[in-house]
Amino acid sequence: MMKNIYSPIEAAIEDIITETQNIKTFVIRPKEEFSFRTGQFIELTLPGIGEAPFTPSSDPNVKEKIDVTIMNVGKVTQRVHNAAKNTAVGIRGPYGKGYPLEQFAGRDILIVGGGVGLAPLRSLLFSLFADIDKYNKVVLCYGARTPGDIIYKEAIPQWSKIRKVEVRITVDVGEPGWNGHVGLVTTILKDLPVDLKNAKAIVCGPPIMMKFVNLKLLDLGFAPADIYLSMEKNMSCGLGKCGHCRLGRYYTCKDGPVFTYEQIKDIPEIWE
Amino acid sequence: MHNVYYSQSHKLNEFVSRLKADFRVFVPAVKLAESGKEAEYTYIRLADDAPLVFNPYRVIEPLKAFFTQFAEKVAGYFRPDAAPKQEEKTVIFGIKNCDLYGHKIQDFVFLEGVEVDAAYSLRRENTIFISGDCNDFKSVCHCLAWDVLPYPFEGFDLNLSPLNEGYLVEVGSEKGRDLIERYKEYFTPAKDAQISARKQKRENLVNRLKKHLLPQNLVAKDSVQKLMRQGYHLDTWQQFMLTCVECGGCNFICDTCHCFLLADEKEGQQNSKLRAWDSCQYVNYARVAGGANPLKIRTQRLRFRFTKKFDFFVDNLGIPACCGCGRCIEACPGKIDLREVLKDLAKKIEIKA
Repeated sequence: MMKNIYSPIEAAIEDIITETQNIKTFVIRPKEEFSFRTGQFIELTLPGIGEAPFTPSSDPNVKEKIDVTIMNVGKVTQRVHNAAKNTAVGIRGPYGKGYPLEQFAGRDILIVGGGVGLAPLRSLLFSLFADIDKYNKVVLCYGARTPGDIIYKEAIPQWSKIRKVEVRITVDVGEPGWNGHVGLVTTILKDLPVDLKNAKAIVCGPPIMMKFVNLKLLDLGFAPADIYLSMEKNMSCGLGKCGHCRLGRYYTCKDGPVFTYEQIKDIPEIWE
Repeated sequence: MHNVYYSQSHKLNEFVSRLKADFRVFVPAVKLAESGKEAEYTYIRLADDAPLVFNPYRVIEPLKAFFTQFAEKVAGYFRPDAAPKQEEKTVIFGIKNCDLYGHKIQDFVFLEGVEVDAAYSLRRENTIFISGDCNDFKSVCHCLAWDVLPYPFEGFDLNLSPLNEGYLVEVGSEKGRDLIERYKEYFTPAKDAQISARKQKRENLVNRLKKHLLPQNLVAKDSVQKLMRQGYHLDTWQQFMLTCVECGGCNFICDTCHCFLLADEKEGQQNSKLRAWDSCQYVNYARVAGGANPLKIRTQRLRFRFTKKFDFFVDNLGIPACCGCGRCIEACPGKIDLREVLKDLAKKIEIKA
């Protein structure tokens, strides 16, 4: 009997962590064996209600549960936000190619995140931290709209204490009590302690942010093949069959969702 | 082993009738033609012993409708369905070569790639394709423009070519071979003269169709990918979308279009995934949570439909996803003609160059 590709496996929401006003992290325990590579995504089903794609934000080396950090923006995410602990959910996947860690070995890694875009990057950071000896250094530049919109507030200070790791944070708009940097994330992409000839940049955030970060990185001298972008598209099946997430000759779900800028630079309107 | 057989009409009718015992049998039926209009053919489930209607050209419905439905339940979760649905054994008559070509796209989507759609695969296994040569064409038919012939040479189990008072029956697969063996009393090996006569009839039709298409000045098959890339920013899309009413008819009636949307439903304790055909001409097709929409306007969506067919599939499968059946042209209430869109691009690119 062949597997039914549309059928989700059962899981339960084990814990809910409030990150910001409209972002929560859901700790989900699958009832069957489930694993993913960092950067791969899942389709999360609210039974009888709907399904939406998310990239787990947890450490892929942790097998028994996965974290999914979700911003309340649409029909499904709103219902997820209203869900209580122990709610049954479904998981399909993992889908997509994920981050090519093997290409990052021996390199200076620059990670640029915007808003809830830090979620998939946290999973990547955990993977890098677990093998930190393999990488020259890891520089995280993270931008949020306001100090209140920063996610993983307690974890970030811990990350900056890890050997070879540097963390920079900025907010678009400051507020009383905020002593950190104010400005778009592109403004902290200067005097970067990375060797451009040997660096890889990984970017995840809203399309408008990625567009300008990508421009900035090219300006700094990054090669298009060394910039990895997480492309956001409407995805329904996750399997390259339903058609929705087409990006030029690719399907974002099966060929991505992470693409190098080199792969997609000739496709018109990629930031639309 | 013979590959081509002959069966007199009354024999073939008996054969078709007997198939009903083991299969759901779908055959073409003529729809009453309005005077002055082309006759239309549609699939019906064969219930009585009516003689087989041989459709001179393709039927109204796309072949894909036998394999994915407009909306259907594709999974029950989290408690498995009591009895998994059995796929009934099915024979489909009246398929034309354009349908077989189009179906390559469906097979590519649902049988290849990352994972196989098991239900589709089972339906495919349980279905026998009995195609037929075209012996006429509709005014919108333009298969030859895509190097698709009006008679098949692959992809069928059996193929019928009308000849005198009967049919030549060509075996195209093991399934077709089995059928001939099981019902051998209805078939006799074809004679060389009959096969030559078939060849002659086929050539005659190709020549008639060529004559029909010549004045249309259709674009060359090999040029379409270039048209998509160089014509991306031309005003053709804007011009042709003006009459689009976003009905999705062009997609749903298309032999190659395959997009679908998954939805969830709850009935009692049982949760289900539904799969419904979707159309890239719908405003929310590419919309993401939060409201961003890369295909906000009709111009973008019309172009998306074309680049999928003529750029994406050329890159990913090596063939354009159009078989020249003309169904989308007939279906469009806005009279958007795929042939004219391509010609307009070709004209403007030439002017630009």
